[in-house]
Amino acid sequence: MSEEIELVDYEKKGIVFNIQKFSIHDGPGVRSIVFVKGCTLSCKWCSNPEAQNHQPIVLFNEKSCISCGKCLSACSNNAIDPSIKGLINRKLCVACGSCATICPAKALTISGKTMSVNEVIQEIKKDAIMYRRSNGGITISGGEPLVQADFVAEILKACKALGWNTAIETTGYADFTQIERVIPYVDTILLDIKNIESEIHQRGTGQANELILANALRLAAMAAKVVVRVPLIPEFNANSRSIHLIAEFAKYMANVSEIHLLPYHKLGANKYELLGRNYPMDDSLETPAEEDVAAYKKIVEDHGFSCTIGG
Amino acid sequence: MVTASKGFGNPTRRVDILKEQILDAVPCIETERALIITEAYKASEGAPAVIRRAKALEKILQGLPIVIREEEVIVGSLTKHPRSSQVYPEFSNKWLKDEFDRIGKRNGDSFQISDEAKQELNQVFEYWDGKTTNELATSYMDPDTLDCMNANVFTVGNYYFNGVGHVSVDYGKVLKKGFKGIMAEVVEAMNYADENDPAYIKKNQFWNATIIACNAAIDYAKRYAVTARSMAEKCMDSRRRAELFKIADVCEQVPANGAKNFYEACQSFWFVHLIINIESNGHSISPTRFDQYMYPYFAMDKSISEEVAQELIDCVWIKLNDINKVRDEVSTSAFGGYPMFQNLIVGGQTDDGLDATNDLSYMCMNATAHVRLSQPSFSVRVWSKTPDEFLLKACELSRLGLGMPAFYNDEVIIPALTNRGLTLRDARGYGMIGCVEPQKPGKTEGWHDAAFFNLAKILEITLNNGMCDGKQLGPKTGDIASCQNFEELLEAYRSQMKYFVKRLAYADNCVDIAHAERAPLPFLSSMVDDCIGTGKSLQEGGAHYNFTGPQGVGVANVGDSFMAIKQLVFKDKKITLSELKAALDSNFGAASAPSASNSQDPSYDMVAEVVRRILSQHKNIDMAAIKETVSNIKMPPAGDMKSLQQMLIHSAPKFGNDIDEVDMLAREGALIYCQEVEKYTNPRGGQFQAGLYPASINVLMGTHVGATPDGRMSHEPLADGVSPVRGADSSGPTAAINSVAKLDHFIASNGTLLNQKFHPSAVQGENGLKNLAALVRSYFDQKGMHVQFNVIDRDTLLAAQKNPEQYRDLVIRVAGYSAQFISLDKAIQDDIIKRTEQMF
Repeated sequence: MSEEIELVDYEKKGIVFNIQKFSIHDGPGVRSIVFVKGCTLSCKWCSNPEAQNHQPIVLFNEKSCISCGKCLSACSNNAIDPSIKGLINRKLCVACGSCATICPAKALTISGKTMSVNEVIQEIKKDAIMYRRSNGGITISGGEPLVQADFVAEILKACKALGWNTAIETTGYADFTQIERVIPYVDTILLDIKNIESEIHQRGTGQANELILANALRLAAMAAKVVVRVPLIPEFNANSRSIHLIAEFAKYMANVSEIHLLPYHKLGANKYELLGRNYPMDDSLETPAEEDVAAYKKIVEDHGFSCTIGG
Repeated sequence: MVTASKGFGNPTRRVDILKEQILDAVPCIETERALIITEAYKASEGAPAVIRRAKALEKILQGLPIVIREEEVIVGSLTKHPRSSQVYPEFSNKWLKDEFDRIGKRNGDSFQISDEAKQELNQVFEYWDGKTTNELATSYMDPDTLDCMNANVFTVGNYYFNGVGHVSVDYGKVLKKGFKGIMAEVVEAMNYADENDPAYIKKNQFWNATIIACNAAIDYAKRYAVTARSMAEKCMDSRRRAELFKIADVCEQVPANGAKNFYEACQSFWFVHLIINIESNGHSISPTRFDQYMYPYFAMDKSISEEVAQELIDCVWIKLNDINKVRDEVSTSAFGGYPMFQNLIVGGQTDDGLDATNDLSYMCMNATAHVRLSQPSFSVRVWSKTPDEFLLKACELSRLGLGMPAFYNDEVIIPALTNRGLTLRDARGYGMIGCVEPQKPGKTEGWHDAAFFNLAKILEITLNNGMCDGKQLGPKTGDIASCQNFEELLEAYRSQMKYFVKRLAYADNCVDIAHAERAPLPFLSSMVDDCIGTGKSLQEGGAHYNFTGPQGVGVANVGDSFMAIKQLVFKDKKITLSELKAALDSNFGAASAPSASNSQDPSYDMVAEVVRRILSQHKNIDMAAIKETVSNIKMPPAGDMKSLQQMLIHSAPKFGNDIDEVDMLAREGALIYCQEVEKYTNPRGGQFQAGLYPASINVLMGTHVGATPDGRMSHEPLADGVSPVRGADSSGPTAAINSVAKLDHFIASNGTLLNQKFHPSAVQGENGLKNLAALVRSYFDQKGMHVQFNVIDRDTLLAAQKNPEQYRDLVIRVAGYSAQFISLDKAIQDDIIKRTEQMF
């Protein structure tokens, strides 16, 4: 088959909510992470709840507010209501961004903006020397990158054209055709496998796991490198049985030699406040104890995988 | 072969003991030097200055107490007590007298002084009344220049009050031929001199002075030999006894003769370094390329094991911490923490352009890790052919949290120096002086710390039409309210810069002349080319290369301020310049006192109040029609001052986030300064060259600047060096380095400085080291000049919790990823702090 030069659609647009530079723990070397909006799951422990929704969303940080009142007059939908928790009446808010624009203290911000592939590439290109020097590259994360598979595929294609290493972080919950859209341009897939028991999976994430597991088996056979990532969530999968099952399952996946265990943390908790929501996890749950994590690591290694804590 | 194996090994017991002596030391002020130089000067009234200096040094070296501390093998001490200071009344002394009773109680950099010492010094100071370099320099200055200094636009404080220092001599020459060899060089120069040349008369005085100084150095070492021998004879411990005899033998040999082995080379180095510090109190006497000039003695010395050689290097490192100098209170706030800025650099390339890394380069890193004290200021040179193992080892050292080494980029510094007229070979041989100042060692009088110049103050003066503290200090560049576009403002800034840099150059040259006339230093000059050849001291222009390097401070504040004005005033038209001005004058509403720059008539405020009321009640009044009036009175900004300040902070991009528009404005603000500076020449026949680094004076300078358009409150510190405003670079370390790399580092050939902070967890493990090394390489690929890393400890995290706004750039490893520390919830921060505790 002759090699065709694939043209990148640089004008393709998507919704991005953050581009984080100097990320050193999500793939090899020093990387930039492009976070895209929208997710198919709604995990209780989600640390990026602002990304679950596909559309831009307004965040309110009470700590930064200087109570100047400018947002009240800026909002044409009367969605700003100082009497309610979180300031914003989410039913009325259309995320037009007027309040965020006028807020001098940036207590109101809008998460998510429409960007073209070109704009994304221009931004991450700024660290191109760093990728070369550190053998790093680009990681696309979310939300769930496959929700915007066409957009993500174009970004990845452009990255490959520039010679950068690419990775995506995915829940695997997507139509396989979407996975096929991106796979040709991805060097490493960081795939979450959260629980093998579908019922438990559904309770924690809002969805059953059959599609994810099926996708896992299919994509592992296709991609150059797949890393299985397991968030260790208390009362969900932070137990020997769950880990054992996941490791056992991973043996069926071709091209997998590495499993990362990511201990639960409450880093997303304050973001729920910014959204005017309650934190869905039980507050008393803590990060799994170090010795327990070590035991899970041992289980993984006993199944013949290399294991990194915190990936 | 030494390899970059993990870790640095452990120091020997001796090194631990010596280090304890330094840590336990309570710095004192000792008076011997002051007493002796005063007597010597009384005895030499009327003689040429250079001869007086030589004879004074001779007397001092004959009279200073000989001190061999417990367990020392490298000997020679400035003072009886470790880490103490002598006094140098010939440069300035009034401040010390004024501070006698406070100096022991300072919060930082305190020195103990006895009543007896105070009395002795009081008598000494009387003699020096009117005779100091400081007083002579002042007498040369014109009123306009003094006004600028009084208004704190710039300070020439360092050399105004002290010796110049900031030099690196040709240590290698002394190691090779000893002072006997140097004297032979002097004699040769004398023999070839043309006695009919009228300049011969002064030259001859200089040559004679160097011979006195060299002989004095040899005799000083011999006093150590005598003392060591007599101590040995009385010593009961056979191990120590043998060491003392060895010390005596070594001090008999060096620095009179060339060194024959590594031990002699270390001791010879130390005598040279110490006596330079005895001759004058200038700081930043820098050993520079220790791994290069010491290497031949290490390589040829078969009698010594690597362990012993390492211990000797460690001992030299300890001695560098034994020297201390007392400074005045103001300087102490500029240079906090007893810093001596003795910069020692390893790696880089040879004069021929080959990689210069050798075994000693690695052993010097070990020594820094063993000693873990503030001296020497340890640096590494990096270029395209620097071995990766060397860079990784340097990163490993950096990770210890000492803030060292500093990394320097050959690929910028060498061309920057050739642009200043150095030959390619000389430029390749550069070393660093003091903080970050490059020069060719042994050939340069760089005057690197000539002044600190407050760039933010220039901006403030520009916004006030040349007024400062109610006085027309600079030229009238126009009422800011009538400024029609950003280019006009920039032009006004340029005009102000022109004026104040001129005054700065004038001030520096007054001080320069004073040093030439009153403090030519023959010992120092004997080891810098071409002083002997030209028959001139360093201070009179004897060096091959001469520079004057004043530092600009506040680059990021100026850039961010320009950006805020350009965007919010001229582009978005969210505020007018008069509104901005009023907000700044009132320190964003925090100050009830009006700006010092505006004359205040109470009726002014009343009228303003009336106009304000009318305008707020009649929204339909055409603002353009009454613009003139409005611009002359204080208008309240739209909304309250606080929200205006917030808008300045948040609604305009900030330097340090890799955003071209603001980065280019910072570049412009700095460039205007650098280009003005390089127009001037000094009395030694050299050029002025700007640097962009602050030591710690950015904090002090901040207290002299009112609120600035970047949203900074009055009195708050300025940004340090070329680093972004603390906390404004919220896009991570790569964005920060990309921004800083957009400045022109080549023109700032007196040095630039970038500090970066990391939490230890962000650089942990093998990958952490590789990433840090990659960061250095990336910054240097983009032609940054210098970078150093602070690997942050727990205390900083606590401080970050307390003042989060100042730590917005603090990136830490959290759980599976890195995050901005202050963006985390308090409970999580606590958790991380606890975790950190376990890590340390």
